[in-house]
Amino acid sequence: MTHPSEQISAYLDGELHGKELNGLLEHLSGCGRCSAEMEEIQNVRAAVRSLPVLELPDGVVPDADAAVLPMRRNRGLWVGAAAAMVALVIAVAAIVTPPPTAVSVDDLSSRFGARVSLDPAFSPAKVVVPELNVVSE
Amino acid sequence: MRKLVALVTAIVVIPASVATAADLDELLERSHEASYSAEQIISCNTPDGLRDAVVRLAQDGVDIWIGSTASGDVEVAAGSGGWTLLRGGDTVSSASVGTGERADDPLYSVEDEAAFLFLGRSATTYNLVRDGVLRAKLAFDQETGAMVNVTTFLEDGTAYCQRRFISFDSAAPDLASVTPIEGETLRQLEGVPTTLPEAIAGFDRLDLYLDDDGSTFAYYSDGFFSFAVFETPTTVSLPDGIAVQVGESVYERSFTAGQATYVWETRVGGMALVGDLPPDLHESVLAALPESEAPGLLRRLWRSLFG
Repeated sequence: MTHPSEQISAYLDGELHGKELNGLLEHLSGCGRCSAEMEEIQNVRAAVRSLPVLELPDGVVPDADAAVLPMRRNRGLWVGAAAAMVALVIAVAAIVTPPPTAVSVDDLSSRFGARVSLDPAFSPAKVVVPELNVVSE
Repeated sequence: MRKLVALVTAIVVIPASVATAADLDELLERSHEASYSAEQIISCNTPDGLRDAVVRLAQDGVDIWIGSTASGDVEVAAGSGGWTLLRGGDTVSSASVGTGERADDPLYSVEDEAAFLFLGRSATTYNLVRDGVLRAKLAFDQETGAMVNVTTFLEDGTAYCQRRFISFDSAAPDLASVTPIEGETLRQLEGVPTTLPEAIAGFDRLDLYLDDDGSTFAYYSDGFFSFAVFETPTTVSLPDGIAVQVGESVYERSFTAGQATYVWETRVGGMALVGDLPPDLHESVLAALPESEAPGLLRRLWRSLFG
C-alpha cells in the first residue's frame, strides 16, 4: 500500500480538489499512519505560525525594495549599459596603453654594430656604445 | 737659383693631388686590420645638444674591444660580423651576421694628403670629399695604419663629430680573454620583396637580414657613413627619445656620441634607423623610407590585446 504524503501536503495547502480530494479523504479514514502524519504536519505549521513577528529597525536594509524592483524591471537596460562600459574601458586602454615592445634599442644597436664590424670603415671611426656615453649637460 | 727655390717650395707646400676611391678602401682596410691600444674621446655637436664620451679601445686585427673609462663594468667585443655588449661580465645583447657585401663604388674622393705629428707619432691626414663637399678629415698613424683622428662635417662645413685618440700604444693588445661573440647568426635574405629601397640619397642597400623575432633590417652604406633600417612587427621603445618633426613626419629621436637613432610607427608595425650619417642627410634618407603613420584604432586594439 502506498501512502500519499505529497497529497497530504497539497490538501493542507488547499490545492486538492475533486476526485483527488475524495480519494485522499477516503484513504485517511482507513489509514492510521497517514492520519497521524497529517496531524503532525498540522502541528508543525501551527507552531511556526505562532512565532512572534519581528520588525527590522529602520536603516538596516535602506530602500531595498526601491533599489531592487527598478533593476528587475530594467534588467536589459542595465546589461546593455554594462557591456557598453566594458567596451569603452577596453577601447580607452587600447588607445592609452602603449603597444607591447618586442625589440629594444640595445638589440638594434647590437645588430647594427655586428654588421658594421664587417665594414672596411669599421674602426675607431665607427665605434659607438650608447651605454658608455657621457651626455654633457 | 730663384726658379729652383720656387720649385722646391712648390713640392713641399703643395699637397698631394686627388686620389681615387680605391685609395680610401686601402686606407680603411689597413686601419681595419691594425693592432693597438688607445683611449679615444668622442664629441658630437648634434641638433639635440652636445654628446661626448671617452672610451678605451683595443684592436687586434679585425677584433675590437671597447670599454668605458668612467664605468668599468660595461664593455663590447666586436669583429668579424659579431657584436656583444656586456655589463658586469654578463651579456646584455649580442648579434651576429655571417657575411656582408661591400660598397662597390664609394662616392668619396681622397684629397689633400698631408703629413704631421699626432701624439708624437708620424701621421697622415686626408680629406674625404663627396659630391664636392668635405665630409671628413681622417688621420692615420703611419706605422700601424690606425685611424687616430676623425672629424666629420655637415654639408655647410660645420664640424659634426670628432673622434680623437688621447693616448696610443702601438703594441698589439692581448684580446685572448675577451668574451667571444655570442648569439645566433642572422640570416641574410636575397631576392625577398621589401619596402626598403635599394638606394637612398647615395647610400646603397648592401644586404638584408631576417631575425628570429620576425624583424628585418637592411644595411646601407656610401663607402664611409652607414646606417641600418629595421622593420619590426611591433614598436620600438627609445629611452630618452624626443619627438621631432623631420620633413612631413614626426619621429622619436635620440643621439649618442656618434650615433643617431630614429624610431617611428607605421600602419603595420615599427621602424627604426640607426647609423652614423651626419644630420643634414637625415631628412632625405627618412623621406625615402615608409612614412611615420599612426595605426588605426582596430590595429592598436589588436596589438594591446594580443601583441
